[in-house]
Amino acid sequence: MTDHRPIRPLRIIVELIRQQPRRYGASLALWVTIWTMPILVGVVVARYFDALTGSRATTELTVVVAAIVAYALARVSVIWSAMRLHANVLFRAGAGIRRRMMRWIYRLPGARPVAESGGEVVSRFRDDVDHIVEAFDFTVDLVGAAVSGIAALVVLWRIDTTMTLVVVAPAAAVIVIASRTGTLVRRYRKAARDATEAITGFLGETLGSVQAIKVAGVEDQMLRRFDALNETRKRMMVRDRTLTEGLHAVFRNTVSLGTGLILILAAGTLATPDGLTVGEFSLFVFLLTRITDSAYFTGRYIAQLKQAGVSMERSVDLLPGARWQDLMGAPIEALEDPDPPVVPRRDAPELTRLEVRGLSYRYPGAAARIEGIDLEIRSGEFVVVTGRVGSGKTTLLRALLGLLPADAGTITWNGEPVDDPATFMVPPRTAYTPQVPRLFSMTLRDNLLLGERRTDTEVRSAIADAVLERDVADMPDGLDTMVGPRGVRLSGGQIQRAAAARMFLRRPQLLVFDDLSSALDVETEAALWDRLFTDGSNATALVVSNRRAALERADRVVVLVEGQVVATGTAAELRNHPEFRRLWDGTAATRRPPTPG
Amino acid sequence: MIPVRSYLRLLARHLRHQRGRVGGLAALLTAAIALQLIGPQLIKTFIDRAIAGRPAAALIPIAAVLMVLAVVQQAIAVWAAYLAETVGWTATNRLRSELTAHVLSLDLGFHKRHTSGELIERIDGDVNALSNFFSAMMIKVVGNGALVLGIIVLLWIESWPVGAGVLAFTAATGLVMGRLHLIAVPWWKQVRASSAEFFGSVGEQVEGTEDLEGNGAADFMLGRFAAILRRWLPETVRGWSGWAMLWSASVVLYVASLVLVFVLGWWLFGIGTLGLGSVYLVLQYVQMSHQPVEEIREQLVDLQKAGASIDRVAGILATRTDLRATGARCLDDGPLAVEFEDVTFSYDDDAGDDITLHEVSFAVEPGRVLGLLGRTGSGKSTIARLVTRLYEPQAGHVRLGGVPTWDVDPEVLRRRVGMVTQDVQIFRATVRDNLTFFDPTISDDHLVEAIGRLELDAWLSSLPDGLDTVLESGSGGLSAGQAQLLAFTRIFLRDPGVVVLDEASSRLDPATEGLIERAVDHLLADRTGIIIAHRLSTVQRADDILILDAGKVVEFGPRTELAADRTSRLSRLLAAGMEEVLR
Repeated sequence: MTDHRPIRPLRIIVELIRQQPRRYGASLALWVTIWTMPILVGVVVARYFDALTGSRATTELTVVVAAIVAYALARVSVIWSAMRLHANVLFRAGAGIRRRMMRWIYRLPGARPVAESGGEVVSRFRDDVDHIVEAFDFTVDLVGAAVSGIAALVVLWRIDTTMTLVVVAPAAAVIVIASRTGTLVRRYRKAARDATEAITGFLGETLGSVQAIKVAGVEDQMLRRFDALNETRKRMMVRDRTLTEGLHAVFRNTVSLGTGLILILAAGTLATPDGLTVGEFSLFVFLLTRITDSAYFTGRYIAQLKQAGVSMERSVDLLPGARWQDLMGAPIEALEDPDPPVVPRRDAPELTRLEVRGLSYRYPGAAARIEGIDLEIRSGEFVVVTGRVGSGKTTLLRALLGLLPADAGTITWNGEPVDDPATFMVPPRTAYTPQVPRLFSMTLRDNLLLGERRTDTEVRSAIADAVLERDVADMPDGLDTMVGPRGVRLSGGQIQRAAAARMFLRRPQLLVFDDLSSALDVETEAALWDRLFTDGSNATALVVSNRRAALERADRVVVLVEGQVVATGTAAELRNHPEFRRLWDGTAATRRPPTPG
Repeated sequence: MIPVRSYLRLLARHLRHQRGRVGGLAALLTAAIALQLIGPQLIKTFIDRAIAGRPAAALIPIAAVLMVLAVVQQAIAVWAAYLAETVGWTATNRLRSELTAHVLSLDLGFHKRHTSGELIERIDGDVNALSNFFSAMMIKVVGNGALVLGIIVLLWIESWPVGAGVLAFTAATGLVMGRLHLIAVPWWKQVRASSAEFFGSVGEQVEGTEDLEGNGAADFMLGRFAAILRRWLPETVRGWSGWAMLWSASVVLYVASLVLVFVLGWWLFGIGTLGLGSVYLVLQYVQMSHQPVEEIREQLVDLQKAGASIDRVAGILATRTDLRATGARCLDDGPLAVEFEDVTFSYDDDAGDDITLHEVSFAVEPGRVLGLLGRTGSGKSTIARLVTRLYEPQAGHVRLGGVPTWDVDPEVLRRRVGMVTQDVQIFRATVRDNLTFFDPTISDDHLVEAIGRLELDAWLSSLPDGLDTVLESGSGGLSAGQAQLLAFTRIFLRDPGVVVLDEASSRLDPATEGLIERAVDHLLADRTGIIIAHRLSTVQRADDILILDAGKVVEFGPRTELAADRTSRLSRLLAAGMEEVLR
């Protein structure tokens, strides 16, 4: 259930503060000091001018210089502590949100947890969380600005009440303008971001299909579209930046107008006994800037806060079912806490019978589905699911493993009903090799283990079972070879066999493979089956395949048509089933003598 | 150094188109700076007159002028920002377009060496850095530089010791801050490196959830996630310390400048060189110059970084395609003969033994269909890429209708040779745009007819918005078979004379392939065909058969003859009964 009411940004901030009240409190105190201190500079400068026009005693100059030097020292030490503490506060806030987001992703069905592409997900993890943290960051400035603005007003009030009131008026206007334009700023910013996303998306697609574009000779058409997208972004960017600059200009203008007003009011009385001294005049001009800065900051902060709301919405939208509170309030261990120790897995009681009844799943908004699947796997059996492309083979495996949330159906494991397949159908009960497996940027060993505690002997044996030993022997650092973009890029077949090794290493009761044939040649695939089933091991496996090597070996073949089981039996029993025949004959066409053409 | 010259070399052409705007921008900036400098002068006059006891009537106009000028100055600043952004984006958009066109014109070898992510970073990331370059250069560096210079000149006029003092002080500020900055740079680099690692890991995990959850490894990955964060935290704090260092230095320098003004002002006021208004003016100017100096320094660092972007972009533009210059000859209408004569090819010029095709010769008569057989890596796909001139042979000739491919007008070649590969790229766009590659001139009727001939009409009517249905990128929600059929439609629309099907059936199951075969019948009617397949069933439709092994032709002839000859390789393959052997 996604809640579509806009998120109230202030509540986000309050939650973030509640996560680390002490650190935040200390940081806030330091930042208020940083904001308020400069008033002292104004006071010192005023004192200097008064001394210059008044007594002209050299001691006065000495006092002024000593005061300003002391100010510098104090300010440097406050800045230093504030920055270090604040870095800590902000980093922890961002890290907390990101960890909660990642946790949520792992709670979603694994087949396709989020609708967005990898690049888009990274952008939400990075940019949107940064925006939220920025808004949080600015709270210390907001309080600092407010305190310093009020302090400045008090100082001025004691000098001249009327003039102070005149100075306040433009500052109030600044706050109103800044907050009123917040929505507009937010809209423009979003449009600019969307336009940029459209461009990177289009570029990615274009560059990913250069061969098709070249062969079709449509470079010019693609370029025209690219130019159109670029033009849109330019308009959005220019609009966004001009608005930002325009707002800045308004705020700076209030300072100038305020200065003008002070001049008008002071005209005729400056340096007379009834009016301001030159020092007081300089203090007015100086503090006016502080007050407007404070007002400007307050106003801008309101806009920033709205931006944080948008970013929070984007982060939440990424995660189906999540509310913003899930990224905030839910308890999470501190960053310093060690990871929970990996509990050595007890070997699961042996699988005797896995039974699936009426399993159904329909992809939202698409025709693809499985419906009412019944399936039974007994210990030691090799069950092959076959069918045309789009018949629901992969969907069946995913729904069984809880990688897709089944709409209906029951699964029983040794007669016990499985309530939550996502948490139950994992090692040591089942392990899975998807159709397009992924490895991660770490060593090959870590990729295979993924936290599992196994000896090197066990790792090597799994590698042998997956027919990967020769590949590993050829790698620069063997098992310690870094895999991925910053290491060795493996071929598709190597990745698939590494994924198979990863599965074997978990010694599951049930092995689940999705179609190995797209990356393994027939000899390799046959070798793999041989090692699994003829070396006296009693593996139980559920496999998607259209290959005859698998079909012939199967204890049971399950034929799917449009998401439903139409036949079950051994290859020999199914020989006369029309759909099975079509699949079988398709691969077996060469058995017939070729017709003379 | 600031890479102004290499920047201009890259963008001069694109900036020249907007000479008017650039000129206008320069004028606006000059005006804005002048107005900024006038403000304190007016206040000085005001103070001096007030102290001299002039009546309010003589003072109020000064205040009014000050207010008007301030408003005008801000309006100009907004206008200047608008112009600078427009100029910057217009110029860099042209550069992006140029880069993309260039990249698309480069051979596939180039695209093999560079991932699309890397190229996006060049075309968008690096060029974005350059779009900021222009406005930053013009407004921050040139604008602020002129402002500081103006201040120093005006102070010099007021009193030369003050001018000299402020000049020396400004120079010292730049130097000190630059030095301190160098200390912090490696700290910031480390933070960015950890950031890249962290977000790289996010992307990998999100794309690998099926692997991780299916194998019970989610907790392990969450642990690694936290471990990167733990390492990153102290680095971040150190990075902020770098900023604290620069900020502290800036505070110290600011206070030093105040002390300088206090002492000089005290002395010069005492000896009567400066009036009270002038002391105030000096103080205002010194405060005004502090921030621009900081901004210039910060921008210079950023602009230096742009040097790397410029080099990378220029490097891509300097990359030449491996393809020879092309001719302009046309090809006949109707089916075309395809001929290879002693063609030798290697993907790597220095490959030595690693030759992909070795003196390959064969000829397909117009309208006939050639079946290409061979194991993976035997060179089948390479033949397809040479026919479509995605690559150029190192030796020998590839001819279409008797004309060498390098001598054919590339546009003609693209129109007359169609190819379908197993990887069909879907764009995040409507079905229509996916079929036409965003060509608005192709009518819907034409599209619907082509779809009908492929028996895809049922699929079309199943789409919620018909041709307007938006497909997602990647697989687009289409099955592999549907994607193939979509690719066939793309080819149909071009009506080529030669059709190359490269492993068109590798990821389809046999039943779906039945549908595709009917479509292929239409596709090959009255066209020359080259089919690369690993299934002998696909090859049944071939008139001629070519078997490749390790880049050499091991058998070539009419299919029926080879099939009848019991000693031929084809017969042995047929007898073996395992067409998958060819994989």
